[in-house]
Amino acid sequence: MSREGRLQLAGAALLLLASVALALHGQPNPEQKWAYMAPQYRHLLDERLVYIDPAELLSLMNDDYIQLVVYDVRNERDWNLFHLVDSERMPLESLPGQRDRLLALPENAVVVLVSNDENLATQAWKHLMVIAKPNAYILEGGLNHWLDIYGVAPEDAGGQDQTATVLQDGTMRHPFAQALGDRHAAAQPDEHHFPARSYEKRVRLIKKIAKAGGCS
Amino acid sequence: MAPFDFAALFGETGGYLVYLVIGFCFGFILESSGFGDSRILAAQFYFRRLNVLKVMFTAIVVAMLLIFWSTALGLLDYNEIWVKQTYLWPGIAGGIIMGVGFILGGYCPGTSLVSAATLKIDGMFFLAGFIAGAIGFGETVAHIEAFWHSGYLGVFTLPEFLGVETGVVVVLVVCLALAMFAFFEWLRRTVYGAGR
Repeated sequence: MSREGRLQLAGAALLLLASVALALHGQPNPEQKWAYMAPQYRHLLDERLVYIDPAELLSLMNDDYIQLVVYDVRNERDWNLFHLVDSERMPLESLPGQRDRLLALPENAVVVLVSNDENLATQAWKHLMVIAKPNAYILEGGLNHWLDIYGVAPEDAGGQDQTATVLQDGTMRHPFAQALGDRHAAAQPDEHHFPARSYEKRVRLIKKIAKAGGCS
Repeated sequence: MAPFDFAALFGETGGYLVYLVIGFCFGFILESSGFGDSRILAAQFYFRRLNVLKVMFTAIVVAMLLIFWSTALGLLDYNEIWVKQTYLWPGIAGGIIMGVGFILGGYCPGTSLVSAATLKIDGMFFLAGFIAGAIGFGETVAHIEAFWHSGYLGVFTLPEFLGVETGVVVVLVVCLALAMFAFFEWLRRTVYGAGR
């Protein structure tokens, strides 16, 4: 066999070997992908840069310029009991199906993840970073914290939110006599009816870089 | 983790320099592989010369292995790679038109650029025609808007189409490429003899 033929055979064998090894190795699952991405994004969670105060979420809900997407990642029972107006129930397993939509969101879009506390929403945030890296935030203290502030009569609201983030067992701590969904007054509270809260604004709009490619 | 934003890493000028170096290497390989010569390119369609098949498929297979090995090892975020969305019917029509144009003109748009860079007259005329055609398409596409957006499948890749793992598709594509190399080389030798 000629030298060229031997080189061709060696190249073919190398390509085949590399492809079979890749098939055996497999592609990373979402948890492994997050582990790879963690050094780049972990500090956003550790420094709580993506946790937004309920008052900031309420402000976003009333901001006509912002295209707000609220994903509620709780189970159906809790969703039926109470959820925010215009939020969408999005269990963790449904998040990958949102990839195309998230990638197509404009620069003025903000995604907010809510759960009863922060744990499930934080898991969902990691999933979103893995699949699409949207401009996503987490409701600080979850809906329990939200209801601590907006779920009671305005005259009783002062000072009730101080311990809201302490208990993180993922359950809804507020009792509901019936499933009201978004018909509860706290589903879309009037911010002018509650004492102003001081908070640090976390939400920043991001500049999207146009992506394209191809070869002709 | 890749892909890297070269402008952010090296500044705007540094980023452009990186693109310049990559473009130089790309052009160098295309020209040295004979992609700037319409006779060599057209000979592919008669199975006389297999440069296009061998170079393009080798590039595809190597890039595919690098991308998915890098993803597997956590060096590349595949979700950040731009994958063209599928518009099935216009894609098929465009492929047919491009194929006819390729065999008639001897170039595809990219190779006509390579050819024009070495001042080949046919390449320059092809490039001029390509630019005129692109402008003409841009001015008339509104009339075929419905067809242009028909058969939309989103980002639709082979693993989704076949319903198998990415790694299995990689093996299949590599096997397909190697089988094609062997078959067309055999065909070329059978029809035209062993000489180049």
